[in-house]
Amino acid sequence: MSREATRPAPRGAHTQRSRSGSRLRAWGRHHRAMCLDSARRLIRFPVGSLLTMLAIAIALVLPAALWLALDSARLLDAELGESATLTAYLEPHVGDAQATRIEEAIAAQQAVARTRLITAAEGMAEFQQALGLADALGRLDDNPLPASVVVMPLDPAPEAVRELAGELEGLAGVEEVRLDLAWLERLRHLAELGHRVALALGVLFGLGVLLVVGNTIRLAVESRRQEIEVVMLIGATHAFVRRPFLYSGAWYGLGGGLFAWGLLALGSEWLAAPVSALGASYGAAYQLPRLGGEGSAILLLCSTLLGWLGAWIAVSRHLSQVRPR
Amino acid sequence: MIVFEHVGKRYGGRFEALANLDFRVRRGEMVFLTGHSGAGKSSLLRLVMRLERPSRGRVLVAGHDIARLHPSQVPFYRRQIGVVFQDHQLLFDRSIYHNVALPLEIRGVEPREAARRVRAALDKVGLLHRERALPIELSGGEQQRVGIARAVVNKPALLLADEPTGNLDPQLSADIMALFEDFNRIGTTVMIASHDLALIARLRHRILRLRDGRLVADEEAA
Repeated sequence: MSREATRPAPRGAHTQRSRSGSRLRAWGRHHRAMCLDSARRLIRFPVGSLLTMLAIAIALVLPAALWLALDSARLLDAELGESATLTAYLEPHVGDAQATRIEEAIAAQQAVARTRLITAAEGMAEFQQALGLADALGRLDDNPLPASVVVMPLDPAPEAVRELAGELEGLAGVEEVRLDLAWLERLRHLAELGHRVALALGVLFGLGVLLVVGNTIRLAVESRRQEIEVVMLIGATHAFVRRPFLYSGAWYGLGGGLFAWGLLALGSEWLAAPVSALGASYGAAYQLPRLGGEGSAILLLCSTLLGWLGAWIAVSRHLSQVRPR
Repeated sequence: MIVFEHVGKRYGGRFEALANLDFRVRRGEMVFLTGHSGAGKSSLLRLVMRLERPSRGRVLVAGHDIARLHPSQVPFYRRQIGVVFQDHQLLFDRSIYHNVALPLEIRGVEPREAARRVRAALDKVGLLHRERALPIELSGGEQQRVGIARAVVNKPALLLADEPTGNLDPQLSADIMALFEDFNRIGTTVMIASHDLALIARLRHRILRLRDGRLVADEEAA
């Protein structure tokens, strides 16, 4: 009396197709019913459901916030990369005409994006302006400053910039090439560290979400144990039994994700003013990043999937234990 | 329909619940399974429902050795059997209608067709007017009739019952047995475990007597 034994002989392709079609419809119907049913069960116990969702939200907010901060650090890094310039100071005897030729020679190099010549006179003018020492410097007989060429490398990576500096130093008429990369490298290392910390926290807190949902679903399974035993006695498959719990888990995850999204929006609103003031004090128009449409979608998707997965683990573990009496 | 070939069942390696059972039940037959409590009636039914597998021998149902069913096929096997439990196993958080509809829901029967079949089953057990009630509002006998309606709503070829009249008074018990006879009359194979000897004797069907896990008598219908 297995499935094969009682199944009537197929009467051709049409019957076959309509049967698999009706099976698909039944499957869809059950999904729809369980989706709504699990939502109704959540609403029936609003306090418990909200607490679970908030626990999920708090577990999600920290890694998400860190991720956002690092994302903005990456933007900052790109901006700083452009300021990774070299300055080639020319020998003091080099005149303006020769300086122009040297600049052209530098500009002709492959690794160079842009150059700007600062003649000795221009350098003096900038210096005076910057220091406000026009009078004192004006009394000097000679201009003690050399002409210089500011070089913008094509590739801002530290190794490439260092290599370019070596090449420029070999040019005739160039006395010294200055570059200051140490702080840029430090920032990069910090960003790398931050990324790894964010990843580790993300994994850790993701596990936290799994545990929160898993535990909630475990209790739900326990409270519906009799029902599970009965439906398994009358021929429910594991997938059928699992389905309502998976939807509950997904709802918890989605709810937690929405709360996390709200907390992030609230947090960035709260921090926006001091952050932009801080940025302004460094002369940068730095703004706290916000979760865009894509980021929001990723957050909600991840939280929903985590909820679903937590439920799956909890139910599967318990299905192997629930044995009809 | 059901064939037991030298079936033995041990629990925990020592306790022998069933020993060397050898019998067959023909399609369309109605059989009573009797004996003291602990004689092995429930164990036997559990083997047929494939809740357990025999330690020795084979159990064939409709020609298939059910011990060899893959775990993923077991649910589909159970859908072919209607089972009535002594404690009804109704779900108390849903109405009579939805309790009876459960097997159809599991099979994915289309809702309008399901409604028709649920009403037919409830009508058969005389509870159509109570379809909206919750199980808790029903008497013991009525609850058992709901359990029967749920067992037959799928039109199973095989109907099993474990002490279906265990908690009922004689009149109600007779009514319940009459229901089983009705289903048997339309071709359903019925196997009922019961220790209500007086009632069984009156009904004149085949009786399998168990004692300490062994078949001690196989009395054909008078």
